[in-house]
Amino acid sequence: MFDIIGKRFRYFLISGVIILIGIISLASAGLPRGIEFSSGSMLTISFEKAVEHDEFQEELNNLGYTDAIIQQTREGEFLIRTHELTTEEKGQIENALAARFGELQETQFNSVSPMVATETWWTTIWAVVGAAAGILLYVTWAFRRMPKPLHYGTCAIIALVHDALIALGVFSILGAILDWEINLMFITGVLAVIGYSVNNTVVIFDRIRENLTRGIGADFESTVNNSLVDTLSRSVNTSLTTLVVVLALLLFVGATIQNFVVVLIIGIVAGTFSSVFIAPSLLVVWDNGEWGRFIPWLKPVKAKV
Amino acid sequence: MTRKNAIVLIIVLLIFGFALWTMLPIDAERFGRKGLNLGLDLVGGVHLVYQADFTENATGGEKRADMQRVLLTIEKRINKYGVTEPIIQQLGDDRILVQLPGFTDIDAAKSLVEQTGFLEFREVELDNAGEPVYLEDYLEQAQLRFIDTGETSDRVFVNEEKNPIAFLVRDGAGTRFVDVEDNSVNQTALQDYGKSLSWIPARGDDGTQITGDFLANAAPVMSGEVVPKPQVSIEWNAEGGKLFDELAGRLYNSGAYGTPQRALGIFLDNTLLSAPQIREQEYHGSGVISGDFTINEVEELANMLKSGALPMPLEKPPLYQEKVSATLGADFIEMSWMAGLIGIILVMLFMIAYYRLPGFLASLALVFYGTLVLALFKLIPVTLSLAGLGGFILSIGMAVDANVLIFERMKEELRMGRTLGAAIEAGFSRAWSAIRDSNVTTFIVCGILFWIGSILVAGAPAKGFAATLAIGVAVSMFTAIVVTRTLLRLFVGGPLSRKTALFSVDRGKK
Repeated sequence: MFDIIGKRFRYFLISGVIILIGIISLASAGLPRGIEFSSGSMLTISFEKAVEHDEFQEELNNLGYTDAIIQQTREGEFLIRTHELTTEEKGQIENALAARFGELQETQFNSVSPMVATETWWTTIWAVVGAAAGILLYVTWAFRRMPKPLHYGTCAIIALVHDALIALGVFSILGAILDWEINLMFITGVLAVIGYSVNNTVVIFDRIRENLTRGIGADFESTVNNSLVDTLSRSVNTSLTTLVVVLALLLFVGATIQNFVVVLIIGIVAGTFSSVFIAPSLLVVWDNGEWGRFIPWLKPVKAKV
Repeated sequence: MTRKNAIVLIIVLLIFGFALWTMLPIDAERFGRKGLNLGLDLVGGVHLVYQADFTENATGGEKRADMQRVLLTIEKRINKYGVTEPIIQQLGDDRILVQLPGFTDIDAAKSLVEQTGFLEFREVELDNAGEPVYLEDYLEQAQLRFIDTGETSDRVFVNEEKNPIAFLVRDGAGTRFVDVEDNSVNQTALQDYGKSLSWIPARGDDGTQITGDFLANAAPVMSGEVVPKPQVSIEWNAEGGKLFDELAGRLYNSGAYGTPQRALGIFLDNTLLSAPQIREQEYHGSGVISGDFTINEVEELANMLKSGALPMPLEKPPLYQEKVSATLGADFIEMSWMAGLIGIILVMLFMIAYYRLPGFLASLALVFYGTLVLALFKLIPVTLSLAGLGGFILSIGMAVDANVLIFERMKEELRMGRTLGAAIEAGFSRAWSAIRDSNVTTFIVCGILFWIGSILVAGAPAKGFAATLAIGVAVSMFTAIVVTRTLLRLFVGGPLSRKTALFSVDRGKK
């Protein structure tokens, strides 16, 4: 029999370290925002002939776009990310590039004004907060017949914040290394992960609810552990089937929605971990009144026997 | 097999057959819907959002009326370009969304929307004998020459839909026919339109062309001598009133009532809006356009007369612009189907390997699931963007979740020594609360995503994802609970029901 709850502080430590690394990265490197959140223009140009990245950069520098971010997306195709371009400015860039490198095609163009960017940013923040609040209320309501229903809601929310923090931290690191930016698809992915994580947590809580009602297990701690073990194969199997299709999505659809797919992958792994190892353990910690153990210089309120 | 289960099975098979017929072939027309509705990021196209720049003291009512007019004007312009199924909508109070699927020249699209339409008045060209000139008169000429030599500006010819078919111009390349985009037109292509009138600019005595700039107001009214009929009343400004009376006097005297000589051509961007007859010699600054109009037509005409230019300027550059090329979209679709197919096969293999017979039945339910979801996408219809396809594919992985929950419970019950029938019923009823509560949280998130997708300027991906995921989760609850259970019940009491290995339970070892 697995004893997950007994080793709960070991799992808290693992999560704590991962989240800490993420927070350090967020604090130092930040989270690069895409144009949807920060305004600007994104222009993808593909040439008939191959063009060197350096030469392309040089031509843009000549045009005065020294602060533009340039990425080579494939052979002879470049993505330029810069301030909000007017029709005339875009025309100038394309004419100058065509004059130097020959025939070109504008494959994609996207431009967002500062007003819309600010709006989008705040709306998505409120959406994430709203989703968390809605879930807290619902989980508390769903477990209203249990003693301390708010515990269930709160622990589900802590698990969800845990997953979101890990996703943000990983993206901050990816942003620093690979120039990835967060966009609306990223936020969509984060919200999907939130839903997925709570979905898993609720299945385990549901088993705890059932086992408590039926009076299985010597005390709360062992009931929670039994419930976890009962649902373990379901937790793993559902994560596997979901992970399989998301990997298929990553392999085939790839670059265009990679933000979204990568968030989902991180979220599924983190969400499964938090549902199994964090959320139920927190219920026990709360029930035992062990919060003091998270703060090393305080003595545990109630020593473990 | 119990009678109740047999009935449910028949209903399930009927739904499956119906869904299959609706979905296949994917391009076929069913209930007036043809093919799947694909988003802009999949078919390519242009997406623009404009901010209307109202004056500070515009009231709410004025803004609403102006927004209506601006949408109408933009729609007219775009329809003339022949874009299929453009979307022109109001966003919030003062924003305009323009989506042109399949139209990828973003600069042309922008100038089309941003241009201020040109409202002008024209009269019919007359020959030396005072007779109206038709296109066929020009086509008969050996050498193209203007017939009314006093007027050197372009002639416009319109078709029965009142849209311009050709212009006769004189420029550096000589006198020639051109189309809307200034390309030369072959005369033989115009033979069918021989009876089109030749419209020349209407001018006052000093040669000033009468344009929309001289119009002070236009409004729909109900009036008439015997029976009130819908009409448009127009008012000119001081100079316009003078110019118009000069024109009216001339037209009045050049032909009988009802002849082309007496017609006043009202043109917006070279499309003939209306060609009312001049009834009087003098109008003193106001008049009515009467005819066989409906109330809607009158309102529309008054709008067009007033908003030859847009009712308010649009802020430039647009708040949001996006252009996706069509070739990218085609690749996405193919790759997404591939990902979906591979995903579904892998999930099936996993389910069969792990849960054996129930897993096989769940795989059948998954086929049912995929068919039903796609049929719903087609019927509702759901606009499938790349994110929407992603949501659908993700939902495949999550669709078996309810089955996994149920099968795990069934295994526990079988291990405790229950019969297959009892284990199935216990598995389903015990798993239900978990399935219900866990899916509600997914619906909460879908609701919030759908909401932000609806209010954000570029929120379509979030909305598409939310819609497909929510439909997917709802359908998966149905397939996992009804379809799989019905299929499983077929085995109750049969020879296979005692072979617990088929249900991945090894009773002997435990």
